[in-house]
Amino acid sequence: MKKVIRMILTLSIIGIFSGGVLSKINDWAVPYIEANKKAATEKAISLVQPEGKNYERIKEAPFEAYKVFDEQNNLIGYSLVYEGNGFQGKIRLMAGVSVDLNKITALEILEQVETPGLGTKVTKEPFTSQFNNLITTPQIDWVKGVKPDKPNEIQAITGATISSKAVVAIINSGIDQLRNFHDSGVK
Amino acid sequence: MKKQVTLSKEFLKGLWDINPIFKQVLGMCPTLAVTVSAINGIAMGLATTFVLVCASLLISTIRKLIPTQVRIASFIVIIATFVTIVDLVMKAKFPELSKALGPFIPLIVVNCLILGRQEAFASKSKPLRALLDALGNGAGFLLALFVLGGIREIIGSRTLLGFQVMPNGFEPWLIMILPAGAFLTLGLLLGFANLYTGRRDRFEKEALQAQYRSVGKEAVFQNDPSEKS
Amino acid sequence: MTASDSEENKQIRFDLTTSPHLHSKWSTQKVMWLVVASLAPSIFTSLLFFGLYQLLIIAVAILFAAGTEYALQVMRNKQPTILDGSAMLTGLLLALTLPPNFSLSATAIGSVVAVGLGKQIFGGLGFNIFNPALVGRAFLQAAFPVQITTWSKPHLAVDTISSATPLAAFKFDHVSTEIGPLFFGNIGGSLGETSALAILAGGFFLIAIRIVNWQIPVSMILGMIIFGGVFHLINPAVNPSPLFHIFAGGFLFGAMFMATDWVTSPITSSGMWIFGLGISLILVVIRLYGGLPEGVMYSILFMNAFVPLINRLTQPAIFGIKQGGQNEKSY
Repeated sequence: MKKVIRMILTLSIIGIFSGGVLSKINDWAVPYIEANKKAATEKAISLVQPEGKNYERIKEAPFEAYKVFDEQNNLIGYSLVYEGNGFQGKIRLMAGVSVDLNKITALEILEQVETPGLGTKVTKEPFTSQFNNLITTPQIDWVKGVKPDKPNEIQAITGATISSKAVVAIINSGIDQLRNFHDSGVK
Repeated sequence: MKKQVTLSKEFLKGLWDINPIFKQVLGMCPTLAVTVSAINGIAMGLATTFVLVCASLLISTIRKLIPTQVRIASFIVIIATFVTIVDLVMKAKFPELSKALGPFIPLIVVNCLILGRQEAFASKSKPLRALLDALGNGAGFLLALFVLGGIREIIGSRTLLGFQVMPNGFEPWLIMILPAGAFLTLGLLLGFANLYTGRRDRFEKEALQAQYRSVGKEAVFQNDPSEKS
Repeated sequence: MTASDSEENKQIRFDLTTSPHLHSKWSTQKVMWLVVASLAPSIFTSLLFFGLYQLLIIAVAILFAAGTEYALQVMRNKQPTILDGSAMLTGLLLALTLPPNFSLSATAIGSVVAVGLGKQIFGGLGFNIFNPALVGRAFLQAAFPVQITTWSKPHLAVDTISSATPLAAFKFDHVSTEIGPLFFGNIGGSLGETSALAILAGGFFLIAIRIVNWQIPVSMILGMIIFGGVFHLINPAVNPSPLFHIFAGGFLFGAMFMATDWVTSPITSSGMWIFGLGISLILVVIRLYGGLPEGVMYSILFMNAFVPLINRLTQPAIFGIKQGGQNEKSY
């Protein structure tokens, strides 16, 4: 009996002690972690909406999206965070969209697990800059091997067609969602 | 009572003789998963070493207070506490690194290397020895991860610690930064480590033979694997 | 030990079958050279369609394969056996699976990996689990994914639109290629795989002189007709006909020269059928649902891993013992 009590006591003391230490550390770390997250979001928004000075989360939306404002607090567009399946796993990206939802201002890939050195090219120039001022009506299309000749087309990366297609598909469905949300009247 | 080895030996054995990667072959999951670059290897090595040293020191200090029946549970709670500390600090202060190492920081909890050292050494030794053993093992782990990450980074992305070391004409071997590259590199390194150890043992044995012969005797080795083949 | 003794030893080492051990009239060396001869039509068509530069790729691949074999055998204090031609054959097979105008340094790396990691690390000829040439090809595929999928146009092409292989064209652009060009080989693709005619000529030669068992190629083609046919019947608009599957890409080359490798294929007749059908099933799934247009290499390597298991399961009962009887477990 004495043994059992000692076992319970030891484990309890260790548990209480580590719990106490962790709660202290957690209190210290949480503000920093929140700040890091906020800085990352801000940085991404400023990349996809270069003229934006202010932003506000659209709370009513069933997905992550932000209204972006300029210095005079005029709405200049939206930042849309959307994710979907890539070649090997989820691709999470942020796209800046104009107010009328017909144009993309810029694209930023937030998270991906594509093949290093190949699929990961979708995160870099010159692929990403193709999305600057890209028309989204009726939807974005991709071509392969030739230069795109329509305002709503981008060129897929040689050897990483699937990743390129995935990015296009994710943006398309994201914008569709945003349109539906927009049409439903909630602003 | 076994004869005590010197304190310096207690530290140095972790670097090669019982190197966690090359000799004990422990902690393979982080080893294979994070070593796409030398800096990742160093970060992982440092994080693991920190947890190992703290846990070893603490456990060796309170080793007489912990009942044998619940020792594993106690070890895990202590290790998990330190790992969570590392995880939170990294997320707060080094968000980039934390993102690169991803889920492998929390997984240090189940790294067999750490639990293994507690069970095999820290729970039976005085704090000073436990500290030196943990430092040695941590350093050995760090060294191995750095070598592995360095090789993979040089061949897989032409750089070492972010600086370009291979000429532009060298086409990077993408396989080296894929999981397959981790297995190939580790396998070859283990092979070379065994080759070296085998050769060194043979030379030592031959030297011993020669000594015996010089006094007119024949040395007999028991359980000699080399004589079977 | 006399010269004929060592010749005898080589033969026994190469023989993988269980007892009874019958003496074969072929030596390893002779077999290897006959296989090389059967590859001659494919080499010729590759030079014809893609130019003389391809001869350099072949030469580099053979040279480095043989060099690696020699170096590693010397390192391990073994009698070098490069003259039996098996390493050179590995190099040649590897070269024929590479795209035209492939970089020579990458070819050399592939050869070193094929013989070093694919064969010698297991202990040399007869001990390797995976087809060495395909191990080298898989390594190159993972190491240089862009270069190895960059296809040059064949020289004689007149109406080819792009240099994509028929499989890639089908997968990504939904363009089907006629069976005619597929059969004669004036299409984009790896050096040795484009001309079905040349491969069939070499393959039939090997089957006729009984170096290669007919079961594996036949079961693979039959499997392709069955599995590819089922998918084609379900949805003819999306899934190509089995005939396209057979003549496009490396299927025939794999069936004749890769899957039939003595060391890495099953030894029993029923095992060979399982092996061939399995390759075809995996291949159809990769081609239709995978991320890559082609999957012959992966499906053969995958089935290679199952060969020891297949051999165990299909081992014939010892004469005199009732199948499923009590004594069966005794071995």
